[in-house]
Amino acid sequence: MLILYMPSPAQSTPDPSPNLTVALVGAPNCGKSTIFNALTGLRQKVGNFPGVTVEPKSGDAHIDKTITRLIDLPGLYSFTPKTPDEALSVAVLSGDHERLPRPDAVVFVMEGTNLEKSLFLYAQFAALNLPTVVVVTMIDSIKASGGVFDDIAMEQALNVPVIGIVGHRGIGLEELREHLALRGFTRPEASQNHVPHDAAIENQHEWARNLASDVARVPETDSLTLNLDALFLHPVLGPLIFLAVMLLFFQSVFTWATPVMDSIDAGFAWLQSIVDTALPAGIVQDFLSRGVIAGVGAVIVFLPQILILTLFITLLEDFGYLARGAFLVDRMMGVFGLQGRSFIPLLSSFACAIPGMMSARIISSEKDRLTTILIAPLMTCSARLPVYVLLITAFVPATLLGGVLSLQGLVLMGLYALGAISGLVVGKVFKSTIFQGSKLPFLMELPPYRFPTWRSVFLTLFHRTKQFLTSAGTTILVLSVIIWALGAFPRTTAQAGASATEAAAVQLEHSVLGTLGKAIEPMFAPIGFDWKITIGVLGSFAAREVFVSVMGQVYSVDVSESDETLRTVLKSAISLPTALSILVFYVYALQCMSTLAVMKRETGSWKYPALAFAYTLVLAYSSSLLVFHLARVW
Amino acid sequence: MNDLPVGSTARIVNYTQQDSFTERLREFGLIPGTVIRMLRKAPFNGPVEIQYRNSRIVLRPGEVAHLQLERIA
Repeated sequence: MLILYMPSPAQSTPDPSPNLTVALVGAPNCGKSTIFNALTGLRQKVGNFPGVTVEPKSGDAHIDKTITRLIDLPGLYSFTPKTPDEALSVAVLSGDHERLPRPDAVVFVMEGTNLEKSLFLYAQFAALNLPTVVVVTMIDSIKASGGVFDDIAMEQALNVPVIGIVGHRGIGLEELREHLALRGFTRPEASQNHVPHDAAIENQHEWARNLASDVARVPETDSLTLNLDALFLHPVLGPLIFLAVMLLFFQSVFTWATPVMDSIDAGFAWLQSIVDTALPAGIVQDFLSRGVIAGVGAVIVFLPQILILTLFITLLEDFGYLARGAFLVDRMMGVFGLQGRSFIPLLSSFACAIPGMMSARIISSEKDRLTTILIAPLMTCSARLPVYVLLITAFVPATLLGGVLSLQGLVLMGLYALGAISGLVVGKVFKSTIFQGSKLPFLMELPPYRFPTWRSVFLTLFHRTKQFLTSAGTTILVLSVIIWALGAFPRTTAQAGASATEAAAVQLEHSVLGTLGKAIEPMFAPIGFDWKITIGVLGSFAAREVFVSVMGQVYSVDVSESDETLRTVLKSAISLPTALSILVFYVYALQCMSTLAVMKRETGSWKYPALAFAYTLVLAYSSSLLVFHLARVW
Repeated sequence: MNDLPVGSTARIVNYTQQDSFTERLREFGLIPGTVIRMLRKAPFNGPVEIQYRNSRIVLRPGEVAHLQLERIA
């Protein structure tokens, strides 16, 4: 946890342990997260994902000399849970959660523009009789659209403190902070008017509706939302705008991230060169340069893409557009047994499966989220591109079909399409087998459009970065050091007079990795791989693009991706059927330890990465076998 | 639900079956007696958006077969 709070020496140091745990409770889209971010800022604990495996977000609010531990519970629609998120919130609030303690008090967040929904939830919540303060958000939207809100009437009706808040302007936050510091909570049981916590759903709604109309006059739908939806959900313009947004999204990930990624690459190459010149050639230099620096570099290089994707998704989500996008593509995704919200994670996975899987958190159905995560690695990520480019330029003639269409481009497009279509089909298979049926059919609110608060967006980016660098970074670093060690031991000394590249080739051939490659070569022989390609495939587990440099090493040519030499060497060393077999193998195989590590983190179990690894390997191997033999016959 | 044209309104009469989905619909406030308005339909029999009181939700019409509606206008 990052602590920016530094008490001055003259003051007495506050008790470092939080002395009160307060849960934030409310319906989805009620503005809970904005309040959580405003109260805790940078003092948030990272390590919170939706779903079964998870802990809710928590953070500390330092007010005067008190510390309050705030828990941001997932939004819920009722206390009869229908999703894992809801079950978690209900379990924590009733004190039934295995690890998380029951909170001492609750800040109950209500959406000002839809009080009936919030009061309905409150009616059920009141049964728990936890000390409560009620916060009503977006009171500015009520007033701006000509409505009124009477917090005093509501306070009298509920007999708990009620605070009106405008999250992004900070109005009401000071009052809420005071309540937290002074522990100004009241138990709902003291309510003078009966809160129907044991009544039927219909009666609870009736109570909520009556109370809502007593304390607030809210216009039915704000005109901004109506007008924007007329455009964004227009039968013709809607999909066109969506397509344009997605193009911008795709473009930003590739184009805007590339210069930054290149400079990160260059930065790490520079670091490597410093180590290489400063230290004598040998195991220490090799470890630092190719084990540690290259390993860390391979992680950090994803950060620009992750930041851009997160920024884009956070803005679209906070604005309310993601739900509209889900509405537009739901029909198409339905063909494959998935829902509209799976679209964004899958699209992101074309850049990199890691941010893709992370953005799958926007899917509320756990089965759909897991299916999406499992098929995300089949979307062609940018790490496959160097491999594709190398082999396509070596083997596919640069002819133009009909004088316009580049054959090489067509093959590249075909590989992307093959991955995407296979992914959707596999999704369909998962949805009709292990993730069969959903507890809850597709049901989604279209929240009113809102302008994102920069503070919230910044905090999301900050915490996502921290989470990625710490959690994924450590795992990936360890794994890449392991791969390095497998290639670096046992040490072999090349003949005198051999060039550095030749020495590297000899070292690799006699290393554990090389021995392993030769040992399992018979397994890969049916799909046309010799031991050299097998080493490349094994080395790819650190990162797919490593294939290119491993090929360079085993064929003893100093290469870059654009280098003519390696292509010429490969063209004579590898047959066309083998080349096609490698391409198809890379379309399917999940050779990426970072993906497996993040998949484990996002699903909370090694079961899912194991499944993904196994099914992609089976797909890769059988497709390569098919392609290799078809190509040989043909 | 499928037969409601865009812009038309209907009243929820009853649920012919009780399960967790219909319970969720009732928790959303779609209780018998509620008047809903068909706001829009996605093409190719896709999801529909309905409005009732202050809420707007999206659902797949095929999945709400247990909802009995009475057309008003």
